[in-house]
Amino acid sequence: GDLGPFNPGLPVEVPVWLAINLKQRQKCRLIPPEWMDVGKLEEIRDQERKEDTFTPMPSPYYMELTKLLLNYASDNIPRADEIRTLVKDTWDTRMAKLRLSADSFVRQQEVHAKLDNLTLMEINSAGTFLTQALDHMYKLRTNLQPGESSHSQDF
Amino acid sequence: EENFLSLDDILMSQEKLPGRAESALPRLAVLLGQGAGSAESVPEGSKLEIPLWLAKGLHDSKRRIISVELPKIYKEAWRTVFNADANVVDLHKMGPYYYGFGSQLLNFENPENPEIAQTILQATGGGSVLPISDSVCFLQTFIARFRRIMDSSQNAYNEDTSALVARLDELERALFQVGQKGLNDFQCWEKGQASQITASSLVQNYGKRKLAEVDG
Repeated sequence: GDLGPFNPGLPVEVPVWLAINLKQRQKCRLIPPEWMDVGKLEEIRDQERKEDTFTPMPSPYYMELTKLLLNYASDNIPRADEIRTLVKDTWDTRMAKLRLSADSFVRQQEVHAKLDNLTLMEINSAGTFLTQALDHMYKLRTNLQPGESSHSQDF
Repeated sequence: EENFLSLDDILMSQEKLPGRAESALPRLAVLLGQGAGSAESVPEGSKLEIPLWLAKGLHDSKRRIISVELPKIYKEAWRTVFNADANVVDLHKMGPYYYGFGSQLLNFENPENPEIAQTILQATGGGSVLPISDSVCFLQTFIARFRRIMDSSQNAYNEDTSALVARLDELERALFQVGQKGLNDFQCWEKGQASQITASSLVQNYGKRKLAEVDG
């Protein structure tokens, strides 16, 4: 698409990939998104710890953005280390919740679960394991009904 | 059901099952590990240990060649242990294919008559049919151990996991490895290795990249 015009000293919105590229060439300074702030992240983290359900995250890509910005532009982000810790804490809490809910899902042998406000990163980290385990459970469960087809051969 | 091409399934069906010859089996003694001479036959009623695939093939609906009984692990006594605390049991020692093998045993008696099937479903438990409580037992065991597998696979990064895995049967081990892979991939991404180009392990093994060692 079209970007710009790029005037020195004036803030401009660009896609992340371009911003990182320009930053690496030392042509710009990155401004962190408004949710990447210690106070806000602390709030989110505390809410995550308090609630049983998942809190809506400020961006569906918060993990990826945090990693990119902190790796390439940490000098433009105030209190970068604290932010890193806060995001990691929130991530850990969410993953623990996910596992807990997976465990109770399996124990009670539910057929359907709805999880709001999960980001793709979290789903992909835990997803393969869960789907495989559920496949096995399904196979074990269908063994409860012995098959009608007979496998024997007559001599 | 069983996957014909799956290595795991093939290995699993090699596991042995205690059984009994229902009729004399002429000249099969050597095959079944009973005698040394090639002309010996297995007398009726003798006890045999046969692999699952053989038992399945010989066990036709007329039931005159072989009858099988459940290995100890699937019997009543062990079921109470599982119901007490499934996490404690060393499933690997019990036969590394506990779940797979057990599921196959369930399908053993294939009755011709649908009414018989119905009765089995209502758990009469005649002959060598596993009553309904055993299939429930598998599921419950799996569920009970699921949490432990999930937690340990997701948290042991770069550590020696052999102690953890020793007590799991093959199915659980495969699941564990999936969990580990997920964890490793995530860590890899986090370190930024996901976007680095690394030499494929196959190519490294070819030994073509020896320029560095050749000089000097």
